Amino acid sequence: MYQYDAIDREFLTDRANEFRHQVARRLSGELTEDQFKPLRLMNGLYLQLHAYMLRVAIPYGTLNPRQLRRLAWIARTYDKGYGHFTTRTNLQFHWIKLKDAPDILDALAEVDLHAIQTSGNCIRNTTADPRAGATAEEIDDPRVWAEAIRQWSTLHPEFSFLPRKFKIAITAAAKDRTAAKLHDIGLMLRRSRDGALGFEVIVGGGMGRTPHVGPTIKEHLPVGRLLSYLEAVLRVYNRHGRRDNIYKARIKILVAALGAEEFGRQVEEEWAKIDAAQVDLPDVELARIRGFFAPPAFDVLPRVSAAFEEAKSKDADFARFARNNVQPHKQAGYAIVDVSLKRPGDTPGDATAEQMEVVADLAERYGFGDIRITHEQNLVLPHIRLDDLPVVHAALQAAGLATANINLVSDIIACPGLDYCALANARAIPIAQSIAERFAEPDRAEAVGELKIKISGCINACGHHHVGHIGILGVDKKGEEFYQLTLGGSGAEDAEVGKMLGPALPAGRVAEAVDQLVEVYLRERQEGERFLDTFRRAGVAPFKEAVYAEAD
Amino acid sequence: MKALTANRLIDGEVVFWSQGRWVEHFGDAELFDAEAPAEAAATGAKAQPNVVIDPYLIDIEQGEAGPAPISYRERLRALGPSNTPQHGKQAEGGAEVAAILAAHGAARSSGRVNLIKRK
Repeated sequence: MYQYDAIDREFLTDRANEFRHQVARRLSGELTEDQFKPLRLMNGLYLQLHAYMLRVAIPYGTLNPRQLRRLAWIARTYDKGYGHFTTRTNLQFHWIKLKDAPDILDALAEVDLHAIQTSGNCIRNTTADPRAGATAEEIDDPRVWAEAIRQWSTLHPEFSFLPRKFKIAITAAAKDRTAAKLHDIGLMLRRSRDGALGFEVIVGGGMGRTPHVGPTIKEHLPVGRLLSYLEAVLRVYNRHGRRDNIYKARIKILVAALGAEEFGRQVEEEWAKIDAAQVDLPDVELARIRGFFAPPAFDVLPRVSAAFEEAKSKDADFARFARNNVQPHKQAGYAIVDVSLKRPGDTPGDATAEQMEVVADLAERYGFGDIRITHEQNLVLPHIRLDDLPVVHAALQAAGLATANINLVSDIIACPGLDYCALANARAIPIAQSIAERFAEPDRAEAVGELKIKISGCINACGHHHVGHIGILGVDKKGEEFYQLTLGGSGAEDAEVGKMLGPALPAGRVAEAVDQLVEVYLRERQEGERFLDTFRRAGVAPFKEAVYAEAD
Repeated sequence: MKALTANRLIDGEVVFWSQGRWVEHFGDAELFDAEAPAEAAATGAKAQPNVVIDPYLIDIEQGEAGPAPISYRERLRALGPSNTPQHGKQAEGGAEVAAILAAHGAARSSGRVNLIKRK
């Protein structure tokens, strides 16, 4: 992974120290809350319902064991022994005291971590395919470009006060695991017919109260021109984005208002004015960054592992884990392991300090020290030898981390919701728990197959409900928690915003309704169809009838 | 009936007003039957911007098991997150927690809505 140099480290230390002084001035009354709030938000510190929340940046969802152990230590020392992984592949601590925040930033800085640009109207953490550098599906390593974007966007003076927050995702595989089309900018690495590497640039996607699947404004941006082109996009947005209305301030509104073609034309016009040599990455710098992402020293191994095959035939739990949580690796004899943070009954995305330490140990011992976070709130060990899978599985199982449910009905995205968040209208976590428990029987979950349920506690859509195969939005109906269901959404390469099923349901009805939807799917599905495919073919009518029949 | 609540600046803790000081437990909160003393307490709280953040009044209902905030948002604040009963004030249990858990009535947190409108 990328390594900070002395200047980066000095900067982080200075920044933590600056915040220490700002906190002291706030506590002494020298700064008012109105003066202090933007300063704490610039350091990822929010005030939520029960305490402060600190959001730590995890650049493109990549951690080393030392960093994960430090996060575990912070969880144990300053929080209640756990952390919450988010859909931006960051980590949130939910029980932070303002007086401890400076010490925590110091502890983070010591392992090259920070909370900069995890809040505010700036370019947030760029997310990338969690299987980067491990999957044979990719045509280049997206982390190289994500790191270039990280360096370019960090404290960029021109883009520190945008009309609204700004999120970029990047993938280099045809199968999109980043929800790229639902981002302010989605970048998809492609090869042109003549073999040249370029980005398909998608701009103006997003969720929130006005969901949009982003249009493509450039089919093939030569990779070497990435940063100047991004700068042109941001410049057009910075100039014309709506600063008068927070609900219309995201770039998706501007792109929709101008039309993708006109927006693209303005970007081209702006791009032509930029002194590209000043902005685009020189080849030598690109090569330097690329060097940090060189493949680890893989052993030369046979494609088939006797230990792996034997464990599958002897241990049904392991076989299930292999079916659902183990993915092919580009290197023979290795596999990508998905670590589920979705054990039925648990809070989606939460990991205890002990669990973090187990994953850090496994990464160090068996996985070249590489750990990834997915936007679906799970972890990934990207480089595990097939021979080591039985022992890794046993260790994960002992830590409650071996739930074999990746992409299944109980692998639910849920935002913290009203249990923690000051913006939420309704709780999301208990709904996720009730659904996961209803489908806890693993044979049934596997029989249902891929089914992505995503739950948000308010219209801001941190839980990505718009793109759930089944999306669930918590609403406040005259002071009571109700849940609006949408069907047919997708955040993948076939991105689509879900369609409303019908009137919102009370909390006690949601898991049952999901069950009814699943039964319709099992009845209607044709050979090879996922829930999403059946919905797309059969339409909303049979699903609607099943959920609302009794009410009529 | 009303109570006055806020988050404490130094640690973000949910606090309630009681006889001129901030207390951590809803069970210790001062309950105002009349409008005037409640408003007076809120005015006093606003004069402590370096102790608490965003003080506001919440509506309280006397239930069979005891008083509890009417809005479920405020009940969550008084208890702690519902997914982790071992965290927050609910962990200590007791009659005040039982009373809040027993409350079913729901309404918007009017004090909170007014706070948002003011901003």
